[in-house]
Amino acid sequence: MRKTVRACLSLFRISLAENFQYRTSALSGVVTNLVWCFIEAAAFGVFFKYAVNAGFSGGLTLAQTISYLWVREMLLMLLSYGINDELLTKITNGNVALEMCRPLDLYWHWFSRITAGKVAGFLMRGVICFLIAFLIPGGYGARLPASFSSFLVFLPSVFCAFLLGNAYEMLVTAIRTNTTWGDGPMHMMMLLPKVLSGSVLPLQLLPDFLQLVLLLQPFAGIIDIPARLYIGSMAPSEAWFGMSMQLFWSLTFIILGKWVMSRRLKSIVAQGG
Amino acid sequence: MAQILLDSIDKRFKVYERPDGKWGLIKGAFMRKVRSVQALDGIGFQIGEGELVGYIGPNGAGKSTTVKIMSGILTPDCGICEIGGRVPWKDRVKHVSEIGVVFGQRSQLWWDVPVSDSFSLLKDIYDIPETQYQERLRELTNALNIAEFLKIPARQLSLGQRMRCEIIAALLHRPKILFLDEPTIGLDAVSKLALRAFLKEENKRSGVTVLLTTHDMDDIEALCSRVMVIGRGRLLYDGALCGLKERYAAKDRQNIDEIIAAMYEDMAL
Ligand SMILES: Nc1ncnc2c1ncn2[C@@H]1O[C@H](COP(=O)(O)OP(=O)(O)OP(=O)(O)O)[C@@H](O)[C@H]1O
Ligand SMILES: [Mg+2]
Repeated sequence: MRKTVRACLSLFRISLAENFQYRTSALSGVVTNLVWCFIEAAAFGVFFKYAVNAGFSGGLTLAQTISYLWVREMLLMLLSYGINDELLTKITNGNVALEMCRPLDLYWHWFSRITAGKVAGFLMRGVICFLIAFLIPGGYGARLPASFSSFLVFLPSVFCAFLLGNAYEMLVTAIRTNTTWGDGPMHMMMLLPKVLSGSVLPLQLLPDFLQLVLLLQPFAGIIDIPARLYIGSMAPSEAWFGMSMQLFWSLTFIILGKWVMSRRLKSIVAQGG
Repeated sequence: MAQILLDSIDKRFKVYERPDGKWGLIKGAFMRKVRSVQALDGIGFQIGEGELVGYIGPNGAGKSTTVKIMSGILTPDCGICEIGGRVPWKDRVKHVSEIGVVFGQRSQLWWDVPVSDSFSLLKDIYDIPETQYQERLRELTNALNIAEFLKIPARQLSLGQRMRCEIIAALLHRPKILFLDEPTIGLDAVSKLALRAFLKEENKRSGVTVLLTTHDMDDIEALCSRVMVIGRGRLLYDGALCGLKERYAAKDRQNIDEIIAAMYEDMAL
Protein backbone atom coordinates (compact mmCIF):
# COMPACT_ATOMS: atom_id res chain seq x y z
CA MET A 1 0.00 0.00 0.00
CA ARG A 2 2.67 2.49 1.08
CA LYS A 3 4.78 1.27 -1.81
CA THR A 4 1.95 1.84 -4.28
CA VAL A 5 1.36 5.37 -3.01
CA ARG A 6 5.04 6.25 -3.24
CA ALA A 7 5.40 4.78 -6.71
CA CYS A 8 2.27 6.61 -7.87
CA LEU A 9 3.47 9.92 -6.47
CA SER A 10 6.80 9.46 -8.16
CA LEU A 11 5.07 8.66 -11.43
CA PHE A 12 2.87 11.72 -10.99
CA ARG A 13 5.89 13.95 -10.42
CA ILE A 14 7.72 12.63 -13.46
CA SER A 15 4.75 12.92 -15.80
CA LEU A 16 4.00 16.38 -14.54
CA ALA A 17 7.55 17.45 -15.34
CA GLU A 18 7.22 15.86 -18.74
CA ASN A 19 3.92 17.59 -19.47
CA PHE A 20 5.30 20.95 -18.46
CA GLN A 21 7.63 20.74 -21.43
CA TYR A 22 4.81 21.32 -23.86
CA ARG A 23 4.77 25.07 -23.36
CA THR A 24 4.09 26.07 -26.94
CA SER A 25 1.00 23.93 -27.18
CA ALA A 26 -0.20 25.27 -23.84
CA LEU A 27 0.25 28.82 -25.04
CA SER A 28 -1.73 28.28 -28.23
CA GLY A 29 -4.32 26.49 -26.09
CA VAL A 30 -4.67 29.56 -23.90
CA VAL A 31 -5.27 31.77 -26.93
CA THR A 32 -7.87 29.40 -28.35
CA ASN A 33 -9.71 29.18 -25.05
CA LEU A 34 -9.72 32.96 -24.62
CA VAL A 35 -11.09 33.58 -28.10
CA TRP A 36 -13.81 30.95 -27.95
CA CYS A 37 -14.98 31.79 -24.49
CA PHE A 38 -15.09 35.51 -25.29
CA ILE A 39 -17.26 34.86 -28.35
CA GLU A 40 -19.55 32.72 -26.24
CA ALA A 41 -19.79 35.35 -23.53
CA ALA A 42 -20.70 37.97 -26.14
CA ALA A 43 -23.35 35.66 -27.61
CA PHE A 44 -24.88 35.18 -24.18
CA GLY A 45 -24.88 38.97 -23.78
CA VAL A 46 -27.00 39.30 -26.90
CA PHE A 47 -29.22 36.38 -25.91
CA PHE A 48 -29.92 37.76 -22.45
CA LYS A 49 -30.74 41.21 -23.83
CA TYR A 50 -33.54 39.86 -26.02
CA ALA A 51 -34.63 37.06 -23.71
CA VAL A 52 -35.07 39.32 -20.73
CA ASN A 53 -37.08 41.73 -22.86
CA ALA A 54 -39.28 38.78 -23.79
CA GLY A 55 -39.84 37.96 -20.13
CA PHE A 56 -37.25 35.17 -19.70
CA SER A 57 -36.02 34.53 -16.21
CA GLY A 58 -33.65 31.57 -16.17
CA GLY A 59 -31.80 30.19 -13.21
CA LEU A 60 -28.86 32.53 -13.74
CA THR A 61 -28.22 36.22 -14.36
CA LEU A 62 -26.04 37.35 -17.26
CA ALA A 63 -23.19 38.22 -14.90
CA GLN A 64 -23.37 34.79 -13.29
CA THR A 65 -23.52 33.10 -16.68
CA ILE A 66 -20.41 34.85 -17.94
CA SER A 67 -18.56 34.09 -14.74
CA TYR A 68 -19.69 30.47 -15.12
CA LEU A 69 -18.34 30.32 -18.67
CA TRP A 70 -14.87 31.34 -17.58
CA VAL A 71 -14.78 28.89 -14.69
CA ARG A 72 -15.88 26.21 -17.13
CA GLU A 73 -13.11 27.21 -19.51
CA MET A 74 -10.62 26.72 -16.70
CA LEU A 75 -11.92 23.23 -15.92
CA LEU A 76 -12.36 22.20 -19.54
CA MET A 77 -9.12 20.20 -19.43
CA LEU A 78 -11.01 17.63 -17.40
CA LEU A 79 -12.95 16.60 -20.47
CA SER A 80 -11.38 15.22 -23.60
CA TYR A 81 -12.48 13.47 -26.72
CA GLY A 82 -10.67 10.27 -25.94
CA ILE A 83 -8.63 8.62 -23.29
CA ASN A 84 -4.99 9.38 -22.58
CA ASP A 85 -2.94 9.03 -25.79
CA GLU A 86 -0.13 7.07 -24.28
CA LEU A 87 -2.44 4.55 -22.68
CA LEU A 88 -4.46 4.22 -25.87
CA THR A 89 -1.29 3.44 -27.83
CA LYS A 90 -0.29 0.85 -25.25
CA ILE A 91 -3.68 -0.75 -25.46
CA THR A 92 -3.81 -0.90 -29.25
CA ASN A 93 -0.27 -2.19 -29.77
CA GLY A 94 -0.55 -4.76 -27.01
CA ASN A 95 2.12 -3.31 -24.74
CA VAL A 96 -0.37 -3.28 -21.89
CA ALA A 97 0.62 -6.82 -21.17
CA LEU A 98 4.20 -5.71 -20.63
CA GLU A 99 3.13 -3.35 -17.87
CA MET A 100 1.97 -6.46 -16.10
CA CYS A 101 5.58 -7.59 -15.77
CA ARG A 102 6.00 -4.95 -13.09
CA PRO A 103 4.77 -5.39 -9.54
CA LEU A 104 2.33 -2.54 -9.56
CA ASP A 105 -1.32 -1.79 -9.29
CA LEU A 106 -2.09 -0.90 -12.87
CA TYR A 107 -5.29 0.95 -11.99
CA TRP A 108 -3.68 3.48 -9.66
CA HIS A 109 -0.68 3.78 -11.87
CA TRP A 110 -2.71 4.77 -14.85
CA PHE A 111 -4.80 6.98 -12.64
CA SER A 112 -1.71 8.92 -11.58
CA ARG A 113 -0.56 9.23 -15.17
CA ILE A 114 -3.91 10.60 -16.32
CA THR A 115 -4.05 12.96 -13.37
CA ALA A 116 -0.58 14.35 -14.10
CA GLY A 117 -1.57 15.14 -17.68
CA LYS A 118 -4.70 16.93 -16.55
CA VAL A 119 -3.11 18.84 -13.71
CA ALA A 120 -0.42 20.10 -16.07
CA GLY A 121 -3.06 21.20 -18.57
CA PHE A 122 -5.11 22.79 -15.83
CA LEU A 123 -2.23 24.83 -14.48
CA MET A 124 -0.62 25.82 -17.75
CA ARG A 125 -3.70 26.31 -19.81
CA GLY A 126 -6.79 26.56 -17.64
CA VAL A 127 -5.59 28.73 -14.79
CA ILE A 128 -3.53 31.03 -17.01
CA CYS A 129 -6.46 31.55 -19.37
CA PHE A 130 -8.69 32.28 -16.38
CA LEU A 131 -6.32 34.88 -14.96
CA ILE A 132 -5.90 36.65 -18.30
CA ALA A 133 -9.67 36.67 -18.71
CA PHE A 134 -9.92 39.12 -15.78
CA LEU A 135 -8.43 41.74 -18.08
CA ILE A 136 -11.22 41.50 -20.66
CA PRO A 137 -13.31 44.68 -20.51
CA GLY A 138 -17.01 45.34 -21.05
CA GLY A 139 -18.35 42.83 -18.52
CA TYR A 140 -17.34 39.87 -20.70
CA GLY A 141 -14.32 38.80 -18.70
CA ALA A 142 -13.85 36.58 -15.67
CA ARG A 143 -15.19 37.79 -12.33
CA LEU A 144 -14.31 37.34 -8.69
CA PRO A 145 -16.18 34.61 -6.81
CA ALA A 146 -19.54 35.46 -5.24
CA SER A 147 -18.00 35.74 -1.80
CA PHE A 148 -14.90 34.74 0.06
CA SER A 149 -16.61 31.68 1.51
CA SER A 150 -17.76 30.73 -2.00
CA PHE A 151 -14.13 30.73 -2.99
CA LEU A 152 -13.18 28.61 0.00
CA VAL A 153 -15.65 25.86 -0.91
CA PHE A 154 -14.82 26.16 -4.61
CA LEU A 155 -11.25 24.96 -4.09
CA PRO A 156 -11.96 21.52 -2.56
CA SER A 157 -14.75 21.13 -5.08
CA VAL A 158 -12.25 21.50 -7.93
CA PHE A 159 -10.18 18.80 -6.29
CA CYS A 160 -13.22 16.53 -6.22
CA ALA A 161 -13.88 17.38 -9.86
CA PHE A 162 -10.43 16.04 -10.77
CA LEU A 163 -11.08 12.87 -8.84
CA LEU A 164 -14.41 12.40 -10.56
CA GLY A 165 -13.24 13.21 -14.08
CA ASN A 166 -10.28 10.86 -13.79
CA ALA A 167 -12.27 8.07 -12.20
CA TYR A 168 -14.65 8.24 -15.15
CA GLU A 169 -11.84 8.34 -17.69
CA MET A 170 -10.29 5.31 -16.01
CA LEU A 171 -13.57 3.46 -16.37
CA VAL A 172 -13.61 4.30 -20.08
CA THR A 173 -9.96 3.25 -20.34
CA ALA A 174 -10.68 -0.06 -18.65
CA ILE A 175 -13.51 -0.70 -21.08
CA ARG A 176 -11.30 0.36 -24.00
CA THR A 177 -8.83 -2.40 -23.15
CA ASN A 178 -11.29 -4.62 -24.94
CA THR A 179 -9.56 -4.05 -28.26
CA THR A 180 -12.10 -5.87 -30.36
CA TRP A 181 -14.62 -3.10 -29.76
CA GLY A 182 -12.49 -0.35 -31.23
CA ASP A 183 -12.92 3.36 -30.61
CA GLY A 184 -16.71 3.66 -31.02
CA PRO A 185 -17.92 2.95 -27.49
CA MET A 186 -15.11 5.07 -26.11
CA HIS A 187 -16.14 8.12 -28.11
CA MET A 188 -19.73 7.67 -27.06
CA MET A 189 -18.79 7.38 -23.44
CA MET A 190 -16.62 10.47 -23.63
CA LEU A 191 -19.40 12.51 -25.24
CA LEU A 192 -21.77 11.98 -22.33
CA PRO A 193 -19.91 14.10 -19.77
CA LYS A 194 -19.37 16.81 -22.37
CA VAL A 195 -23.09 17.46 -22.51
CA LEU A 196 -24.05 16.62 -18.95
CA SER A 197 -21.24 18.40 -17.13
CA GLY A 198 -22.41 21.83 -18.22
CA SER A 199 -19.56 22.38 -20.63
CA VAL A 200 -21.95 23.06 -23.50
CA LEU A 201 -24.53 25.04 -21.58
CA PRO A 202 -24.76 25.85 -17.86
CA LEU A 203 -27.07 23.22 -16.43
CA GLN A 204 -29.10 25.84 -14.57
CA LEU A 205 -30.18 27.39 -17.86
CA LEU A 206 -31.92 24.16 -18.87
CA PRO A 207 -35.67 23.69 -18.18
CA ASP A 208 -36.84 23.64 -14.56
CA PHE A 209 -38.35 20.16 -14.58
CA LEU A 210 -34.92 18.69 -15.41
CA GLN A 211 -33.05 20.47 -12.65
CA LEU A 212 -33.17 17.78 -9.98
CA VAL A 213 -32.04 15.03 -12.33
CA LEU A 214 -29.29 17.25 -13.74
CA LEU A 215 -27.91 17.89 -10.30
CA LEU A 216 -27.95 14.27 -9.22
CA GLN A 217 -26.45 12.74 -12.36
CA PRO A 218 -22.75 11.92 -12.12
CA PHE A 219 -21.31 14.43 -14.53
CA ALA A 220 -22.55 17.62 -12.87
CA GLY A 221 -19.63 17.18 -10.51
CA ILE A 222 -17.02 17.64 -13.23
CA ILE A 223 -17.79 21.28 -14.02
CA ASP A 224 -21.22 22.40 -12.95
CA ILE A 225 -20.96 21.93 -9.19
CA PRO A 226 -17.64 23.74 -8.75
CA ALA A 227 -18.87 26.49 -11.09
CA ARG A 228 -22.10 26.89 -9.11
CA LEU A 229 -20.13 27.24 -5.93
CA TYR A 230 -17.89 29.86 -7.53
CA ILE A 231 -20.69 32.03 -8.88
CA GLY A 232 -22.77 31.54 -5.75
CA SER A 233 -25.80 29.89 -7.38
CA MET A 234 -25.08 27.09 -4.93
CA ALA A 235 -24.61 28.65 -1.50
CA PRO A 236 -21.50 27.76 0.52
CA SER A 237 -23.82 26.24 3.11
CA GLU A 238 -24.94 23.71 0.47
CA ALA A 239 -21.42 22.85 -0.58
CA TRP A 240 -21.44 19.68 1.52
CA PHE A 241 -24.21 18.35 -0.70
CA GLY A 242 -22.42 19.17 -3.96
CA MET A 243 -19.19 17.63 -2.79
CA SER A 244 -20.91 14.53 -1.42
CA MET A 245 -22.36 14.02 -4.88
CA GLN A 246 -18.93 14.41 -6.41
CA LEU A 247 -17.34 11.97 -3.99
CA PHE A 248 -20.17 9.49 -4.26
CA TRP A 249 -19.88 9.30 -8.03
CA SER A 250 -16.08 9.22 -7.93
CA LEU A 251 -16.21 6.23 -5.63
CA THR A 252 -18.75 4.51 -7.85
CA PHE A 253 -16.59 4.99 -10.94
CA ILE A 254 -13.45 3.85 -9.13
CA ILE A 255 -15.08 0.66 -7.96
CA LEU A 256 -16.55 -0.02 -11.39
CA GLY A 257 -13.28 0.82 -13.13
CA LYS A 258 -11.21 -1.43 -10.91
CA TRP A 259 -13.66 -4.23 -11.38
CA VAL A 260 -13.73 -3.98 -15.17
CA MET A 261 -9.96 -3.68 -15.29
CA SER A 262 -9.24 -6.69 -13.12
CA ARG A 263 -11.58 -8.75 -15.28
CA ARG A 264 -10.08 -7.48 -18.52
CA LEU A 265 -6.48 -7.98 -17.48
CA LYS A 266 -7.08 -11.67 -17.13
CA SER A 267 -7.95 -12.00 -20.77
CA ILE A 268 -5.50 -9.55 -22.27
CA VAL A 269 -3.15 -11.26 -24.65
CA ALA A 270 0.32 -9.96 -25.29
CA GLN A 271 0.49 -9.73 -29.04
CA GLY A 272 3.55 -10.54 -31.08
CA GLY A 273 7.11 -11.28 -30.07
CA MET B 1 13.39 -28.88 -5.98
CA ALA B 2 13.60 -27.14 -9.29
CA GLN B 3 13.15 -23.41 -9.24
CA ILE B 4 11.27 -23.40 -12.51
CA LEU B 5 8.93 -26.23 -13.27
CA LEU B 6 6.72 -26.56 -16.32
CA ASP B 7 4.71 -29.61 -17.15
CA SER B 8 2.49 -30.39 -20.16
CA ILE B 9 1.68 -26.77 -20.89
CA ASP B 10 -0.73 -26.22 -23.77
CA LYS B 11 -1.58 -22.91 -25.32
CA ARG B 12 -3.82 -22.30 -28.29
CA PHE B 13 -4.46 -18.97 -29.91
CA LYS B 14 -7.51 -18.06 -31.93
CA VAL B 15 -6.73 -16.34 -35.17
CA TYR B 16 -9.31 -14.71 -37.36
CA GLU B 17 -8.94 -15.04 -41.08
CA ARG B 18 -10.58 -13.27 -43.93
CA PRO B 19 -12.13 -15.71 -46.40
CA ASP B 20 -10.27 -16.04 -49.72
CA GLY B 21 -11.51 -15.25 -53.14
CA LYS B 22 -13.04 -12.42 -55.02
CA TRP B 23 -15.67 -11.62 -52.42
CA GLY B 24 -13.44 -12.32 -49.46
CA LEU B 25 -13.31 -8.70 -48.46
CA ILE B 26 -17.06 -8.37 -48.25
CA LYS B 27 -17.67 -11.81 -46.81
CA GLY B 28 -15.08 -11.09 -44.17
CA ALA B 29 -17.15 -8.22 -42.86
CA PHE B 30 -19.94 -10.59 -41.96
CA MET B 31 -18.27 -13.80 -41.04
CA ARG B 32 -14.77 -14.41 -39.91
CA LYS B 33 -13.13 -17.77 -40.18
CA VAL B 34 -11.78 -18.70 -36.79
CA ARG B 35 -8.78 -20.97 -36.74
CA SER B 36 -6.95 -22.11 -33.72
CA VAL B 37 -3.16 -22.24 -33.63
CA GLN B 38 -1.43 -24.55 -31.23
CA ALA B 39 1.47 -22.44 -29.98
CA LEU B 40 2.50 -24.79 -27.18
CA ASP B 41 1.86 -28.49 -27.26
CA GLY B 42 2.70 -30.12 -23.96
CA ILE B 43 5.87 -28.24 -23.10
CA GLY B 44 7.56 -29.32 -19.91
CA PHE B 45 10.99 -28.80 -18.35
CA GLN B 46 12.73 -28.04 -15.09
CA ILE B 47 15.42 -25.51 -14.38
CA GLY B 48 17.39 -25.38 -11.18
CA GLU B 49 18.59 -22.33 -9.32
CA GLY B 50 21.58 -20.63 -10.89
CA GLU B 51 21.36 -22.34 -14.27
CA LEU B 52 22.02 -20.51 -17.53
CA VAL B 53 19.76 -22.05 -20.12
CA GLY B 54 19.46 -21.28 -23.82
CA TYR B 55 16.02 -21.69 -25.34
CA ILE B 56 16.16 -21.96 -29.10
CA GLY B 57 13.94 -22.92 -31.98
CA PRO B 58 12.82 -21.67 -35.38
CA ASN B 59 10.49 -18.70 -35.84
CA GLY B 60 7.03 -19.32 -34.49
CA ALA B 61 8.15 -22.28 -32.39
CA GLY B 62 6.59 -20.92 -29.22
CA LYS B 63 9.56 -19.43 -27.40
CA SER B 64 8.05 -16.04 -26.68
CA THR B 65 4.79 -17.70 -25.70
CA THR B 66 6.61 -19.78 -23.10
CA VAL B 67 8.38 -16.71 -21.75
CA LYS B 68 5.09 -14.84 -21.50
CA ILE B 69 3.55 -17.69 -19.54
CA MET B 70 6.50 -17.84 -17.20
CA SER B 71 6.32 -14.09 -16.64
CA GLY B 72 2.71 -14.30 -15.61
CA ILE B 73 1.24 -12.23 -18.43
CA LEU B 74 -0.34 -15.10 -20.31
CA THR B 75 -2.40 -17.95 -18.94
CA PRO B 76 -1.94 -21.37 -20.52
CA ASP B 77 -4.95 -23.50 -21.42
CA CYS B 78 -3.76 -26.34 -19.25
CA GLY B 79 -0.67 -27.69 -17.60
CA ILE B 80 1.41 -26.90 -14.57
CA CYS B 81 3.77 -23.99 -14.18
CA GLU B 82 5.42 -23.22 -10.87
CA ILE B 83 8.22 -20.74 -10.45
CA GLY B 84 9.81 -20.35 -7.06
CA GLY B 85 6.82 -22.26 -5.72
CA ARG B 86 4.30 -19.82 -7.19
CA VAL B 87 1.91 -19.99 -10.09
CA PRO B 88 2.86 -16.86 -12.07
CA TRP B 89 -0.54 -15.73 -13.29
CA LYS B 90 -2.27 -16.45 -9.98
CA ASP B 91 0.15 -14.59 -7.77
CA ARG B 92 1.25 -12.07 -10.35
CA VAL B 93 2.46 -9.12 -8.30
CA LYS B 94 4.55 -11.23 -5.90
CA HIS B 95 5.90 -13.26 -8.76
CA VAL B 96 6.98 -10.38 -10.97
CA SER B 97 8.74 -8.62 -8.13
CA GLU B 98 11.24 -11.47 -8.09
CA ILE B 99 11.88 -11.83 -11.77
CA GLY B 100 13.29 -9.63 -14.50
CA VAL B 101 11.98 -9.79 -18.06
CA VAL B 102 13.27 -8.33 -21.29
CA PHE B 103 11.35 -8.62 -24.53
CA GLY B 104 13.85 -7.57 -27.12
CA GLN B 105 11.24 -6.44 -29.59
CA ARG B 106 9.31 -4.28 -27.19
CA SER B 107 10.02 -1.45 -24.89
CA GLN B 108 9.20 -1.43 -21.24
CA LEU B 109 10.89 1.89 -20.76
CA TRP B 110 8.87 4.92 -20.51
CA TRP B 111 8.93 6.51 -23.92
CA ASP B 112 8.84 10.25 -23.32
CA VAL B 113 10.96 10.77 -20.24
CA PRO B 114 14.71 10.51 -19.73
CA VAL B 115 15.89 6.97 -19.11
CA SER B 116 17.11 7.96 -15.66
CA ASP B 117 13.54 8.93 -14.73
CA SER B 118 12.31 5.51 -15.80
CA PHE B 119 14.96 3.97 -13.59
CA SER B 120 14.12 6.06 -10.56
CA LEU B 121 10.48 5.16 -11.05
CA LEU B 122 11.45 1.50 -11.01
CA LYS B 123 13.29 2.17 -7.78
CA ASP B 124 9.99 3.19 -6.22
CA ILE B 125 8.02 0.41 -7.85
CA TYR B 126 10.34 -2.27 -6.53
CA ASP B 127 10.94 -0.41 -3.29
CA ILE B 128 14.72 -0.47 -3.60
CA PRO B 129 16.55 1.43 -0.82
CA GLU B 130 18.31 4.53 -2.13
CA THR B 131 21.92 3.49 -1.37
CA GLN B 132 21.45 0.04 -2.89
CA TYR B 133 19.84 1.59 -5.92
CA GLN B 134 22.69 4.04 -6.51
CA GLU B 135 25.25 1.31 -6.15
CA ARG B 136 23.42 -1.04 -8.48
CA LEU B 137 22.79 1.66 -11.06
CA ARG B 138 26.46 2.61 -11.10
CA GLU B 139 27.46 -1.00 -11.50
CA LEU B 140 25.04 -1.57 -14.37
CA THR B 141 25.71 1.66 -16.22
CA ASN B 142 29.42 0.91 -16.12
CA ALA B 143 29.00 -2.66 -17.25
CA LEU B 144 26.79 -1.77 -20.20
CA ASN B 145 28.31 1.63 -20.80
CA ILE B 146 25.20 3.77 -20.98
CA ALA B 147 26.16 6.64 -18.67
CA GLU B 148 26.05 9.10 -21.55
CA PHE B 149 22.43 8.51 -22.51
CA LEU B 150 20.87 8.53 -19.09
CA LYS B 151 19.36 11.95 -19.66
CA ILE B 152 17.89 11.18 -23.09
CA PRO B 153 14.26 10.08 -23.53
CA ALA B 154 13.91 6.45 -24.59
CA ARG B 155 12.29 7.37 -27.90
CA GLN B 156 15.39 9.22 -29.05
CA LEU B 157 17.75 6.30 -28.45
CA SER B 158 18.99 3.97 -31.14
CA LEU B 159 17.84 0.36 -31.02
CA GLY B 160 21.02 -0.93 -29.39
CA GLN B 161 21.24 1.94 -26.94
CA ARG B 162 17.66 1.33 -25.92
CA MET B 163 18.18 -2.41 -25.56
CA ARG B 164 21.02 -1.81 -23.15
CA CYS B 165 18.74 0.43 -21.08
CA GLU B 166 15.97 -2.17 -21.18
CA ILE B 167 18.35 -4.77 -19.82
CA ILE B 168 19.36 -2.49 -16.99
CA ALA B 169 15.72 -1.80 -16.22
CA ALA B 170 15.18 -5.53 -15.82
CA LEU B 171 18.15 -5.98 -13.51
CA LEU B 172 17.90 -3.01 -11.14
CA HIS B 173 15.97 -4.90 -8.48
CA ARG B 174 18.37 -7.85 -8.48
CA PRO B 175 15.87 -10.45 -9.65
CA LYS B 176 16.39 -14.07 -8.77
CA ILE B 177 15.31 -15.17 -12.22
CA LEU B 178 15.87 -13.50 -15.55
CA PHE B 179 13.90 -14.18 -18.70
CA LEU B 180 15.53 -12.69 -21.76
CA ASP B 181 13.64 -12.92 -25.02
CA GLU B 182 16.11 -11.97 -27.76
CA PRO B 183 18.09 -9.51 -25.64
CA THR B 184 20.94 -9.18 -28.13
CA ILE B 185 18.74 -7.84 -30.91
CA GLY B 186 20.35 -4.77 -32.39
CA LEU B 187 23.44 -4.80 -30.21
CA ASP B 188 26.82 -4.02 -31.76
CA ALA B 189 29.76 -6.36 -31.23
CA VAL B 190 31.12 -4.45 -28.27
CA SER B 191 27.79 -4.31 -26.46
CA LYS B 192 27.07 -7.94 -27.20
CA LEU B 193 30.34 -9.01 -25.66
CA ALA B 194 29.77 -6.69 -22.72
CA LEU B 195 26.30 -8.11 -22.14
CA ARG B 196 27.53 -11.69 -22.29
CA ALA B 197 30.37 -10.98 -19.91
CA PHE B 198 28.00 -9.20 -17.59
CA LEU B 199 25.42 -12.00 -17.55
CA LYS B 200 28.09 -14.57 -16.88
CA GLU B 201 29.53 -12.52 -14.06
CA GLU B 202 26.12 -11.80 -12.56
CA ASN B 203 25.24 -15.47 -12.72
CA LYS B 204 28.46 -16.47 -10.99
CA ARG B 205 28.26 -13.81 -8.32
CA SER B 206 24.62 -13.68 -7.34
CA GLY B 207 23.45 -17.01 -8.68
CA VAL B 208 20.71 -15.56 -10.87
CA THR B 209 18.91 -18.08 -13.02
CA VAL B 210 18.79 -17.08 -16.68
CA LEU B 211 16.63 -18.35 -19.49
CA LEU B 212 17.64 -16.84 -22.78
CA THR B 213 16.01 -17.08 -26.17
CA THR B 214 17.98 -15.93 -29.14
CA HIS B 215 18.70 -16.57 -32.77
CA ASP B 216 22.33 -15.70 -32.27
CA MET B 217 24.02 -19.03 -31.67
CA ASP B 218 27.15 -17.30 -30.44
CA ASP B 219 25.16 -16.08 -27.44
CA ILE B 220 24.31 -19.64 -26.62
CA GLU B 221 27.83 -20.87 -27.17
CA ALA B 222 29.28 -18.16 -24.97
CA LEU B 223 26.78 -18.45 -22.15
CA CYS B 224 24.76 -21.58 -21.88
CA SER B 225 25.92 -24.96 -20.78
CA ARG B 226 22.42 -26.25 -21.38
CA VAL B 227 20.16 -25.72 -24.38
CA MET B 228 16.56 -26.57 -24.94
CA VAL B 229 15.26 -26.78 -28.47
CA ILE B 230 11.59 -26.20 -29.13
CA GLY B 231 9.74 -26.75 -32.38
CA ARG B 232 6.03 -26.50 -33.11
CA GLY B 233 5.33 -26.12 -29.43
CA ARG B 234 7.18 -29.24 -28.36
CA LEU B 235 10.43 -29.73 -26.55
CA LEU B 236 12.76 -31.58 -28.92
CA TYR B 237 16.11 -31.51 -27.22
CA ASP B 238 17.31 -30.74 -23.75
CA GLY B 239 20.97 -31.06 -22.92
CA ALA B 240 24.43 -29.75 -23.60
CA LEU B 241 25.19 -27.77 -26.72
CA CYS B 242 28.08 -30.08 -27.53
CA GLY B 243 25.61 -32.96 -27.68
CA LEU B 244 23.80 -31.23 -30.51
CA LYS B 245 27.05 -30.45 -32.23
CA GLU B 246 28.19 -34.03 -32.10
CA ARG B 247 24.99 -35.24 -33.56
CA TYR B 248 24.66 -32.74 -36.40
CA ALA B 249 28.19 -31.64 -37.20
CA ALA B 250 29.66 -32.99 -40.42
CA LYS B 251 32.70 -32.33 -42.52
CA ASP B 252 31.00 -29.64 -44.52
CA ARG B 253 29.23 -28.28 -41.45
CA GLN B 254 31.44 -26.68 -38.87
CA ASN B 255 29.68 -23.35 -38.50
CA ILE B 256 27.24 -23.38 -35.60
CA ASP B 257 24.43 -21.80 -37.63
CA GLU B 258 24.77 -24.50 -40.26
CA ILE B 259 24.64 -27.15 -37.57
CA ILE B 260 21.48 -25.71 -36.08
CA ALA B 261 19.92 -25.36 -39.52
CA ALA B 262 20.68 -29.01 -40.19
CA MET B 263 19.04 -29.94 -36.90
CA TYR B 264 15.88 -27.96 -37.66
CA GLU B 265 15.73 -29.68 -41.03
CA ASP B 266 16.29 -33.08 -39.52
CA MET B 267 13.50 -32.51 -37.01
CA ALA B 268 11.28 -31.47 -39.90
CA LEU B 269 10.53 -28.00 -38.60
N1 LIG C 1 -1.45 -13.26 -29.84
C1 LIG C 1 -1.41 -14.26 -30.72
N2 LIG C 1 -2.51 -14.56 -31.46
C2 LIG C 1 -2.48 -15.59 -32.33
N3 LIG C 1 -1.43 -16.37 -32.55
C3 LIG C 1 -0.29 -16.13 -31.87
C4 LIG C 1 -0.24 -15.06 -30.92
N4 LIG C 1 0.99 -15.06 -30.37
C5 LIG C 1 1.68 -16.07 -30.97
N5 LIG C 1 0.90 -16.73 -31.86
C6 LIG C 1 1.31 -17.90 -32.65
O1 LIG C 1 1.90 -18.83 -31.78
C7 LIG C 1 3.06 -19.41 -32.36
C8 LIG C 1 4.26 -19.21 -31.46
O2 LIG C 1 4.62 -17.85 -31.41
P1 LIG C 1 5.85 -17.30 -30.57
O3 LIG C 1 5.77 -15.84 -30.60
O4 LIG C 1 5.87 -17.95 -29.25
O5 LIG C 1 7.09 -17.80 -31.45
P2 LIG C 1 8.64 -17.59 -31.20
O6 LIG C 1 9.20 -18.93 -30.93
O7 LIG C 1 8.88 -16.55 -30.20
O8 LIG C 1 9.15 -17.14 -32.62
P3 LIG C 1 10.25 -16.04 -33.03
O9 LIG C 1 11.55 -16.75 -33.05
O10 LIG C 1 9.86 -15.67 -34.40
O11 LIG C 1 10.18 -14.92 -32.06
C9 LIG C 1 3.20 -18.77 -33.73
O12 LIG C 1 2.69 -19.67 -34.69
C10 LIG C 1 2.34 -17.54 -33.68
O13 LIG C 1 1.75 -17.33 -34.92
MG1 LIG D 1 9.74 -14.63 -30.15
